[in-house]
Amino acid sequence: MRFNPSLTARLRIGFVVLFALLLAVSLLGVGRLFQIRVDFEDETTRYFQLELEAERLRSGFILEQAAVRPPARAARPSASELSQAADGFADAGARADELTGDDTDLATALERVIETEEAWREAVASPLLRGQTPAGRVQARLTMAVTSSVEQLASATADAREAVRGDARDDTRNTTVLVIIGLVGALLAALILFSGLINSMRAPLARLVDGARRLAGGDLETRVEVGGPVEISALGKAFNEMASELERDARERDRIERMKDDFVLTVSHELRTPVTVVKGFAEMLTAQRRSLNTRQYEAAEVIADSAGQLQKMINDLLDLARSDAGKLRIEPGPTSVRSLAQRVGRQMRPNFDEKDQKLTVSVEKDLPDVRADPDRIGQVLSNLLTNANKYAPEGARVRLTATRNGNAVEFAVSDNGPGLAGEELEHVFERFWRAQSGEAQEIGGTGLGLAIAKSLVELHGGEISAESELGSGATFRFTLPIARDGRPAKGTQKTTRKPGATKSGTTQKASR
Amino acid sequence: MTRILVADDSETVLLMLQRRLEMGGYEVLTATDGQEVLDEIGACEDVPDLILLDAMMPRVSGVEALRRLREQGCEIPIVMISAHLDAQEPERMKALGADETVPKPFDWDDLIGRIEELV
Repeated sequence: MRFNPSLTARLRIGFVVLFALLLAVSLLGVGRLFQIRVDFEDETTRYFQLELEAERLRSGFILEQAAVRPPARAARPSASELSQAADGFADAGARADELTGDDTDLATALERVIETEEAWREAVASPLLRGQTPAGRVQARLTMAVTSSVEQLASATADAREAVRGDARDDTRNTTVLVIIGLVGALLAALILFSGLINSMRAPLARLVDGARRLAGGDLETRVEVGGPVEISALGKAFNEMASELERDARERDRIERMKDDFVLTVSHELRTPVTVVKGFAEMLTAQRRSLNTRQYEAAEVIADSAGQLQKMINDLLDLARSDAGKLRIEPGPTSVRSLAQRVGRQMRPNFDEKDQKLTVSVEKDLPDVRADPDRIGQVLSNLLTNANKYAPEGARVRLTATRNGNAVEFAVSDNGPGLAGEELEHVFERFWRAQSGEAQEIGGTGLGLAIAKSLVELHGGEISAESELGSGATFRFTLPIARDGRPAKGTQKTTRKPGATKSGTTQKASR
Repeated sequence: MTRILVADDSETVLLMLQRRLEMGGYEVLTATDGQEVLDEIGACEDVPDLILLDAMMPRVSGVEALRRLREQGCEIPIVMISAHLDAQEPERMKALGADETVPKPFDWDDLIGRIEELV
């Protein structure tokens, strides 16, 4: 396994390395500067002392000169004074020799001082002590040689001192620059280290974000590639486990859903045979009215009606189960809106007459054909009209209209019945949902009609919606696409004003 | 009198169909599977005026019986009753030679209307 430290370890390593680098650079820099300072002071002190010794040599030589040629006229050259002065000169020379160290220029200058002084003593001092007087020219030359050599030593020392100051300044500057470079380098190293750390997290984190988005989008098979620091890898693993769990749950849910669909499909299928038989025989009895007494006839009629309702409910359930299982098939083709609306209106008219209701069917002129399965859309229309017929009171007005709406034809069934409350509208297309309000509860029905209508309309690529206001009726609309190979619309298009107009304010709309 | 051969594997459905058709004035022969239908028709001589055939039956199904009858050139009108009716089924039945296909459970008026058209 390759080296893959955890995030905290990486951070810790990063900080330690950064700290060590900064500490090292700082300590080295400060130490070096301190050393430069100390060296500078030592050297400067040495050269000052050397200059002091040069002064002593100068004054020693003056005393020597005074000893062999006293300034007072009466005084005689004194050997003892000379020897005392010479000792002082020699002491200063010896101390200076120690101070020159390994500086050869200064050593040479000092040597010259010693040599010229010795030459002076031999050629000038000794004869004078003996009472002889050397030639003035010789005296002047040798005396001058000593004085100038001492001068030279002093000035060379002063120069050397200046040089040390300059060197120290340069060293200080160079060291400072080096320390700055070192600090910047350490920070750069830290930067590289941390950006490496961030980079090691970026790709796996991006993959996680991507994976989470895909998962949220419904792709339950999505898994992320695990990588990066230990913590990020752990996150990746946890993400994958979560995705697996979700996928398993979804599959289980699908399986149960399928079982339920199969169950409903099978049960309603098995129910159909006995219902057919019951209905058939009951209808046969009602057809033989004359051979039955009133009560027998009434019973037969109730059996036939109930069997009819049962049969319708089974057919509805079967349709929904097929729709859920994706087995509900339609055969859409170019269909004339007018003949479809009129056929359904004709079929439904007896129901309306029975309740003394007025049904108007109005189809816009020159509507193009829609792409629809006429039987199925007939079923949708008849479901909507059945609802209007059932829920609207006696004497109510019900309208079935068809108008053009863009690339679709909009069908609307509206009544002036009791209507539905806003919260009820949200549920009208749900299965087994029934209107809750007062009288509506007494009205029979399976609560499947609108759910089927919705399935069928959506299967046709249309949309269904309901709008209503409590107390002033309900309107159900659905759209169907215009058939491309159908009869084209002729003439001008009428306005697409929505019939059964919406009243402002409290009108609610439910559509999905 | 018009004779109709009715085939359905459910005895109750068969009895119901028989009684109602008899009430409508038809003479009814019955069969409980495709084999019985084929035996009854035989060489296609002295055949009933119409066959009402359930598509799904054990042994020889209604669909199979329909296919064989048409294969041997029997041109008797046949109305299929199918429970698994999807949008394509009437077309498939028609391709096999059925004159009409009605869904099960059937609406009696619809069924009798189609029968009357054929006899």
